[in-house]
Amino acid sequence: MQIELQSLRPYPIPDKFIPKSEVWEKNLHIESGNKCLLAAQSGKGKSTLLHVLYGLRSDCSGDALIGDRSVFSNTPSEWEEIRKTKVSLLFQDLKLFPKLSARENIELIPQTNLKATPIDEMLTKVGMEQFVDQPVEQLSFGQRQRIALLRSLRKPFELLLLDEPFSHLDKENTVRACQLIEETVERNQASLIISSLGDEPPLNFDGRFSL
Amino acid sequence: MNTSQERSMREAVRAKGSGWEIWIASLGCLLGSSLLILAFQLYQDSNRFFEEQVSPSNFFTLNKKIQGGALVNMGKGEKTFTQDELNQIEKMDGVMRTGGFTRNKFPLTLYIWPSGKVGLGAAAKTDLFFESIPDEFLDFIPEEWNWDENSSTVPIIVPKFYLDLWNFGLAPSRVEYPTLSNEAATGMPIELFIGNNREVTLEGRFVAFSKRINSVLVPESFLSQANEKYGKPDAGQYFFLWKDGAVDGPPRTLGFLQGLTEEQKQNGEASPISSPAEKKPILEILEVQTSDTHLPSRIIVQIEGSPSDAFVAELGAKGYEINREFPEQDLVKKITNVVFLGMAIIGVLFSISSIATFATSFRLLVTQASEPATNLLLLGFSSDSLTKLFFLRFVLIFAPVFLLALALGAGLQYELCKIGKNVGIEVESGLSIPTFVFAFAYCIVFLVINRMTIEKSVKKLSD
Repeated sequence: MQIELQSLRPYPIPDKFIPKSEVWEKNLHIESGNKCLLAAQSGKGKSTLLHVLYGLRSDCSGDALIGDRSVFSNTPSEWEEIRKTKVSLLFQDLKLFPKLSARENIELIPQTNLKATPIDEMLTKVGMEQFVDQPVEQLSFGQRQRIALLRSLRKPFELLLLDEPFSHLDKENTVRACQLIEETVERNQASLIISSLGDEPPLNFDGRFSL
Repeated sequence: MNTSQERSMREAVRAKGSGWEIWIASLGCLLGSSLLILAFQLYQDSNRFFEEQVSPSNFFTLNKKIQGGALVNMGKGEKTFTQDELNQIEKMDGVMRTGGFTRNKFPLTLYIWPSGKVGLGAAAKTDLFFESIPDEFLDFIPEEWNWDENSSTVPIIVPKFYLDLWNFGLAPSRVEYPTLSNEAATGMPIELFIGNNREVTLEGRFVAFSKRINSVLVPESFLSQANEKYGKPDAGQYFFLWKDGAVDGPPRTLGFLQGLTEEQKQNGEASPISSPAEKKPILEILEVQTSDTHLPSRIIVQIEGSPSDAFVAELGAKGYEINREFPEQDLVKKITNVVFLGMAIIGVLFSISSIATFATSFRLLVTQASEPATNLLLLGFSSDSLTKLFFLRFVLIFAPVFLLALALGAGLQYELCKIGKNVGIEVESGLSIPTFVFAFAYCIVFLVINRMTIEKSVKKLSD
């Protein structure tokens, strides 16, 4: 799924960040199937961009297109369908359900990605198999981060947006998670945008943009 | 969506709190729904009861008002309707037809033998009157109603409340009089004595009890023949005869005036004893009296529907009197309807407040669950599926409350029927089909309003 940004600029981004940014108020094209890294310090608008692409914000000038369509022209019901079948987002604050178990959280999605790795295999790959039946509220943030990641990979997608997915993971777990991400994205022939505070995760990126 | 996923969704959005609001809403819903269902059912029951048990209000009898004491009215003739007045009544709005009452013109005494045999036990003795009306005005025509010269028994119809008066008034106060069922009352032999000195004795029998006509009725054929045979055409009508500007002798009967020579009739003057100053030529008096003999003093009127207040007022203004039972029955019916309307209004108020409380509770519930609910929307769940989730929760509370309200309504109606039966009001127990239809419609309204509220609250989350 190709993405195009046309002079996009969220209103809350301060003027002083704009000249140095490779994204804001620039024309940017991300080819279908590309993997991109958005690297920046906090407050530069990483989450904002991902939220714009997920239809959660529209307080911007310029335009952002997914495929041929402006994200600002989609109706709420179109967004419902897009989120259900085309775009998957791992939120920075995870948005898990604390009372539900890890497995229940992973399974609680409107539609399952048929190309996704089976849950138990996924859990093993990220070292979470022994925590599968525990309520999420009893897990550490790093463990929760992995559960949220698995949930986003279990959804069908043509574009995967991951907002600082490894912020609370150690190196080993980051490597394991990256392997799973890469394999799932390639199986789906999807595009990927990952935001990061600066560290580059071990993935083969086609593009890197700093904000 | 599979079952475990649905369960997870329900679990995810389960919010604490708002429990007591939902309990209050449920209680309001239970009371409101029960009251509404009961009011609707009792309204139908009372209407059916009035239709079956009480005289139809579109029949009533009419006479001219009688004013003044006994002495004033002594010697006055009957206040008959004139032909013009009858024509005017027939032309009034809503009047379908009228019929005149014919009255007996002879003294009549009845001996009623409640023991079932003449001469056995005590007889109830009473001076009475007979009237007849055209058969088409009777509520129904009993089999024994036909009378001809060869009939051995005179069939009599009395108002139903005469029997009630007997059973609830006379019989309990007199040990020699038993209470009577309809069947027993129709089996009582009755002796009819005609004439001041009981010159003629006939046999009679009650054949029916009318809820429509407030009079003692016999067949027209009997009364016309009996009047002809035993009646006194001048009964109750006396006149002063005037001669040389002064009253000449005692009051004279109409028969006496008719017996005068033609010359006396042409030259003489007379006045009714009720208004001695109104002297008129004897010929004129005879003409009026003769022409009026066939005109009734009381008539039965059938109108379309119940008499309106305007209709009753118009009759009152003309100096006519409507027989009293029917407007009173109407009044009872009106009062009953007002009571049910009151019940329905209270029920509606309860229901409205219950709908409002439910709506508020569920709005609150959605708000309290806004974070997980929004997260579900962000994951791609549709607002419809979330609305369904909350609505299902509402239905799971509302359905048992509503079924309980139906059961409570039916139970209360059953108990009221039992109480009604004890005081002689027989009403079929159980909820009717229209009540179920009404309850179903009410249930739909309740569901739709709450569904809309939930939908609106969920939509707000997705905006």
